[in-house]
Amino acid sequence: MLSIQNLEAGYGKVKVLHGISIDVPKGQVITLIGSNGAGKTTTMRAITGMIKPTAGEVTLSGQRIDGSDSHKIARLGLAHSPEGRRVFTTMSVTDNLLLGAFPRFTGSRPKGDIKTDLEHALEMFPRLKERRNQLAGTLSGGEQQMLAMARAVMLNPEIILLDEPSMGLAPILVEEVFRIISNLKSQGVTMLLVEQFAAAALNVADYGYVLENGKIATHGPASKLKDDPAVKAAYLGGSGH
Amino acid sequence: MMKLKSHLPLLAAILGLIGLPLFVENPYYIHLAETILIYTILLFGLDIVVGYVGQVSLGHAGLFGIGSYTAGILFFHLGWPVWATIPASIIVTAIFGGILALPALKVIGPYLAMVTLAFGTIAQILINEMSWLTEGPLGIKLTLPELMGTTMTASEYFWLVAAITILALIVVDRFVKSQMGRAFEALRDSPVACDCMGVSVYRFKVIAFVISAGFAGLAGCLYAYSEQYISPNTYNNELAVLFLLAIIMGGRKSRLGAAIGAAIIVLLPKLLDDINLFRIVASIIAVVVTVGAIMALSKKITTPKRVAIPVAGVVGLAAFSFWLNSIADWRLSIFGFMILLVVYYLQNGIVGFAKTFYLAITGKTKTTVGEATAENTDSSVDFISAIGNKNAGAELLKVDSVLMQFGGLKALNNVDLSIKRGTIHGLIGPNGSGKSTMMNVLTGIYVPTSGNVFYADESVVGKTSSQIALSGIARTFQNVQLFGEMTALQNILVGLHHTFKSNMLDIALHLPRYLREERDARNRAMALLKFVGLENLANEEARNLPYGKQRLLEIARALALDPELLLLDEPAAGLTAPDIKELLRIIRKIRDNGITFILIEHHMDVVMSVCDTVSVLDFGQKIAEGKPAEVQANEKVISAYLGT
Amino acid sequence: MDMLAQILTSGIAVGMIYAVIAFGFQLTFATSGTLNFGQGEALMLGALVGLTCVDTLGMNYWAMIPVVCLFGMLQGSFVELIGVRPAIKIKSEFGWIMSTIALGIIFKNVAENVWGRDALPFPPPLPMEPMSFLGANILPMEILVVVGALVMMLLVEFFNRKTIYGKAVVATANDRDAAGLMGINTSMVITFSYALSSLTAAFAGVLIAPLTLTGATMGGALGLKAFAVAIIGGLSSGMGIIVGGLILGIVETATGFYFSTGYKDVPGLILLLLVLAYKPSGLFGKSAIKKV
Repeated sequence: MLSIQNLEAGYGKVKVLHGISIDVPKGQVITLIGSNGAGKTTTMRAITGMIKPTAGEVTLSGQRIDGSDSHKIARLGLAHSPEGRRVFTTMSVTDNLLLGAFPRFTGSRPKGDIKTDLEHALEMFPRLKERRNQLAGTLSGGEQQMLAMARAVMLNPEIILLDEPSMGLAPILVEEVFRIISNLKSQGVTMLLVEQFAAAALNVADYGYVLENGKIATHGPASKLKDDPAVKAAYLGGSGH
Repeated sequence: MMKLKSHLPLLAAILGLIGLPLFVENPYYIHLAETILIYTILLFGLDIVVGYVGQVSLGHAGLFGIGSYTAGILFFHLGWPVWATIPASIIVTAIFGGILALPALKVIGPYLAMVTLAFGTIAQILINEMSWLTEGPLGIKLTLPELMGTTMTASEYFWLVAAITILALIVVDRFVKSQMGRAFEALRDSPVACDCMGVSVYRFKVIAFVISAGFAGLAGCLYAYSEQYISPNTYNNELAVLFLLAIIMGGRKSRLGAAIGAAIIVLLPKLLDDINLFRIVASIIAVVVTVGAIMALSKKITTPKRVAIPVAGVVGLAAFSFWLNSIADWRLSIFGFMILLVVYYLQNGIVGFAKTFYLAITGKTKTTVGEATAENTDSSVDFISAIGNKNAGAELLKVDSVLMQFGGLKALNNVDLSIKRGTIHGLIGPNGSGKSTMMNVLTGIYVPTSGNVFYADESVVGKTSSQIALSGIARTFQNVQLFGEMTALQNILVGLHHTFKSNMLDIALHLPRYLREERDARNRAMALLKFVGLENLANEEARNLPYGKQRLLEIARALALDPELLLLDEPAAGLTAPDIKELLRIIRKIRDNGITFILIEHHMDVVMSVCDTVSVLDFGQKIAEGKPAEVQANEKVISAYLGT
Repeated sequence: MDMLAQILTSGIAVGMIYAVIAFGFQLTFATSGTLNFGQGEALMLGALVGLTCVDTLGMNYWAMIPVVCLFGMLQGSFVELIGVRPAIKIKSEFGWIMSTIALGIIFKNVAENVWGRDALPFPPPLPMEPMSFLGANILPMEILVVVGALVMMLLVEFFNRKTIYGKAVVATANDRDAAGLMGINTSMVITFSYALSSLTAAFAGVLIAPLTLTGATMGGALGLKAFAVAIIGGLSSGMGIIVGGLILGIVETATGFYFSTGYKDVPGLILLLLVLAYKPSGLFGKSAIKKV
């Protein structure tokens, strides 16, 4: 579904990614974990066109997307719930969700039944249903995270990229977020999940990649990685280096 | 003898100016040259705002008018002599420049441009309406000044203007090469870093406008006598735009650029009045540009795509001139097109372009901005004022229950910290835990919602960033905030701004106090560069340095403040392993000289290897504190980072 | 009391024109962070094109309006393409400030050459006899101005709130990167916002033309004062612009009446300077939190 080969990217003079390769097969949840500054968000931005990679290839369903503009990549069916949520704060919850389906309105993606999908999304995220007409800027952090994910779902995407969904959320909300991710997984949604919190991510994912200083330090089935000391070392230093 | 060589162009210019009235008979051409000189003086001043502080000013026609009218009013109503009207014009216009600076203090970019536009418009309206003072639309007539009882001849007045222009050139050159000029450029490149280096943004913005206005006033005064008649509709917004065109087209930050620009805007309308002459000149320019483009293409220093538009533009202009019978009506359109062309293709003006073109064609590499390296660079570290290990272990900084709330979000939630002298104190935590917020509170960028911060027993809450910097707390930034267009050496010199006590007079006259301070600062700056291993890159623009070296330069600049406490915000971010080793070595070296550190970092290896104590933040609260190894093994910390 | 009513009604009409032009500033600033310094010239061109339609081509005033609006859209797109897009690409603020100024100068000069330097009268679509209302004399045209301005702004609001394309524009203004992630072509949104901005200016031009004289110079002062209104009201607040416009219109008319017409423009400009000195985000705008 999504294939990243030898991706290199950075900001101006600073090179953050030094050639990483990740494979996201259809129907699976792949997680990319690592500490801050490791390059996780840079990876997401390079995939979704927010920054242009300096080398490497990104392929979506067989089509090369590296170097494309964000809006074109979205129209190919890649939905991104970005770091920091980035919901449209001056618009209502409903409007945010409708905008998630924008390419379906304009015909760039199969239209389907947007109204029904909107109701389904609100069913999946009950908190949002209660607040459907509220301004997104007045929602709490957890609710904004729900909104960002629901918005991504509204695209009827081929794949969803989730960038640090747990960031800044209290533990109980983190639980809820991951419950929803499991729910989506059981519906067969392909996902690439970038997380700082290794434990929760590895619980829900099928396969994991550990990013350290812009390189893949180790990767393997999520269940195996959970007990791998290299994971802890990647975050807190110490043994293994 | 080096000095004589660099002064040669200036001496030649002076000779030329002296000779002009002697060899040229027609007073029309002398008057033209005089106008060019007067505009040059104004552009010297405008360059300070546009070239050095980097803002758009549409108010300089208004300031020009204020200068002219001050002279005119004093001449007309009070009969003052020129020796009095000149200083009066300078001072009055400078005061108005200060008034203009006030609404401009908090704004930049388009807002600042609009402030200056509004100011210029108001100035013109007031001059027009207050006829009891200015004679309104009727205008004021002046005569050439008197010299020892008799009115000056046109030639004598020209020499006076020429002499004043040379003086203005020397003064402005000295200003911009001094600590003042560096402060202006620092303003442009990073206002935040400016404040944190002890250079008050507000103060220098006002100074820039005041000095700029002074030059405009001087030019206005000389203009009034030169034209011998002034009226309000000269000082309109079109003239203001023309001045901007002149400075951009001639070249910013260049005295020669100012002169070229002045010549262009004075001669161009004359050129446009004569259609035949314009056709000839336009054709010549079209040929020159096309030939230059062909040369550049053949040497492969540019692409066809890039030269397409400029070549099409000048050829089109020449063709257009043959089609029309009179081009005077299209004067402003031509100016408009010139602005467009210059903004996108000639960003460094004719002077800048000529330099680049010459270097490219002759194959030379760019010589970095030549500034004499200091006479003796001292590698000993006694430039770091002897703090020694006095009171090592005593509390230097105390953060007392600081709460930082943004709307509903508590970025810092009652955090306590105690930083001991002579230690390296690490501050870590997952993303969004409040580390950078803490930095900004400590350096005065944010004012805490409640709680207090005590530095050496004195509260710093409410102080400006500039005051805090000067009291001994220096910082680096998560996103490097160097003064990009300035050299490494100049960056450090800005950090050393606090060592300069000399004022404008000292600088203008190059008095011993200023010369001594400049020399001492340069020596110290070179020593600081040597300390971080950057002495060979002293004359390289900061934005061209490799990333790792930029980080080291930022630290050296912070050291220039003579701090007791150094705050480093993610200094290792984006660095390669060898760069990190070098960084750690330098941090330790600085600490060994008695400077205390607070270090925000994500690189755990860095934190573990260099910190004495570590405090951990999570969701704005401190969850652990202690020696690095203890913190690393702390359950709460592990779960904060990895999740349970 | 009559005088007060007169000042109010005349001031409101003038103020609404400022508000409509300022509305255009808001549109482009919200989506792209840039402004058209030649906005006044967009108004001027709209008025002159309208004059040609009505005078030379014999069109009916009401039929002319859509033509002028279309012209405005083209003019705005042109300004964006030539002046703003290249500057955004090289991230140069100086670039779009200077190039929109330059384009404004060029447009004014072209107008001078095409339509001449004289101020021309615009045939009014409504009778010019003043009606009496609450002690003040109001021209039917002034009422048209207020109604037209409100209708234009309401139409745009409707577009923004009810259509998906309008929502896409608001989204771009809110968070350009996130809008791109939704599949919105933000480049096109910016071009569109410039087209719309010039449309509103051109429309304002044909509204105000019958009340004053139409000529190449009518844009300069209007543009600057509309900017003052946009700043005073706050570049992020639609309501603020209307309030700001009304304040400016009334203060100006009062100054013109009690002092002299020459000083009419001064209070607005001083108000602009005061707002920029004390609350740059405008009376109704929200202050931004600095992030380092």
